[in-house]
Amino acid sequence: MIKLEASPDEIYDIELEHSLLEANEKLAKENRALLDQHGTTAIDFMGAIGSGKTTLITRLIEKLKDKMGVAVFNGDATTSNDADAIAKQNVPVVQIATINGCHLDANLVGKGLRKIDVDKVKLLFIENIGNLICPAEFPLGSKGRVVVVSVTEGPWMVRKHPHMFLGAQVVVINKIDMAGAMDVSVDDLVNDVHRLKPDIKVIPTSCKTGEGIDEVAAALLAV
Amino acid sequence: MHEFSIAANLVEKLSEFIRENPDKKICEIRLEIGELSHIEHEQLRFCYESITKETPLEGSSLEIDKIEAFVECPHCSYRGRPKYWDDILAGAPVVTFQCPACGKTVEETQGKECAIKSIKFSQIEPVPS
Repeated sequence: MIKLEASPDEIYDIELEHSLLEANEKLAKENRALLDQHGTTAIDFMGAIGSGKTTLITRLIEKLKDKMGVAVFNGDATTSNDADAIAKQNVPVVQIATINGCHLDANLVGKGLRKIDVDKVKLLFIENIGNLICPAEFPLGSKGRVVVVSVTEGPWMVRKHPHMFLGAQVVVINKIDMAGAMDVSVDDLVNDVHRLKPDIKVIPTSCKTGEGIDEVAAALLAV
Repeated sequence: MHEFSIAANLVEKLSEFIRENPDKKICEIRLEIGELSHIEHEQLRFCYESITKETPLEGSSLEIDKIEAFVECPHCSYRGRPKYWDDILAGAPVVTFQCPACGKTVEETQGKECAIKSIKFSQIEPVPS
């Protein structure tokens, strides 16, 4: 095979300045504009599988559904377990199957918005895929981001996924009723979060005893 | 593995260029990736090479420039590099949003980039008929 390579004076250079995340960002802005137009606040929940995102959302719905319209988008790679659990609350639920995709994106959320009557929804909970890295890069159009960490994930959850917290407004330290059994210090987790971002709201909760749930509801409405 | 979606976006953009300029061959792509983005350079490279195999982009080189993070503090007017958390157990120090001067929360001004900066291409000689 004869291989011919261009010499340096035959190579041309052009500036492109094209953002690779632009397509998603544009759709996220469109989602946000639509939500704002209807007076709807969307909150994106991120956290590992098993951290308690679905149970936390269920507890919040129990508190809020009689006071305002709520709806839920459940991102899940494969199953509909979470959407099924929330559907028992008789609120609109959209199951968004990413089919092995590691994050929700603004396009999928935009499709979800076309499936609900946005006008009737004051607060939209978006449950992201249980992954603490990929979703950070893909804004959805939500007004606030919540990270859910539970003590059963061990003492290093914040330190191992620091980037996720920088973009969040509220952090929930869940399953605090298990802290003793797990020998995990809730205070240490709270301090780790504040070391990354001093003004972030950190709320210890137990979805089992109900501790902290009112405070989370108030924090979401204040975002 | 969100690097795959990003590599796919990159290939789409480059394919657009090739469609518009069928007489040019892309040999180098220079990307700017910010320190605050969550993009793993080697995974991105691997995805790019996998997608471009047996396409006109095969063999083109992906150069990645890392863009440093900069922050500013709305509380004390600090502007500059962020504070790092050195002993966090991670392989490298981690950026925090704690102001190095006053300890309150800063805002990022640079470091989330993920963009094609430039491309280098050569002219394909027309085949003599």
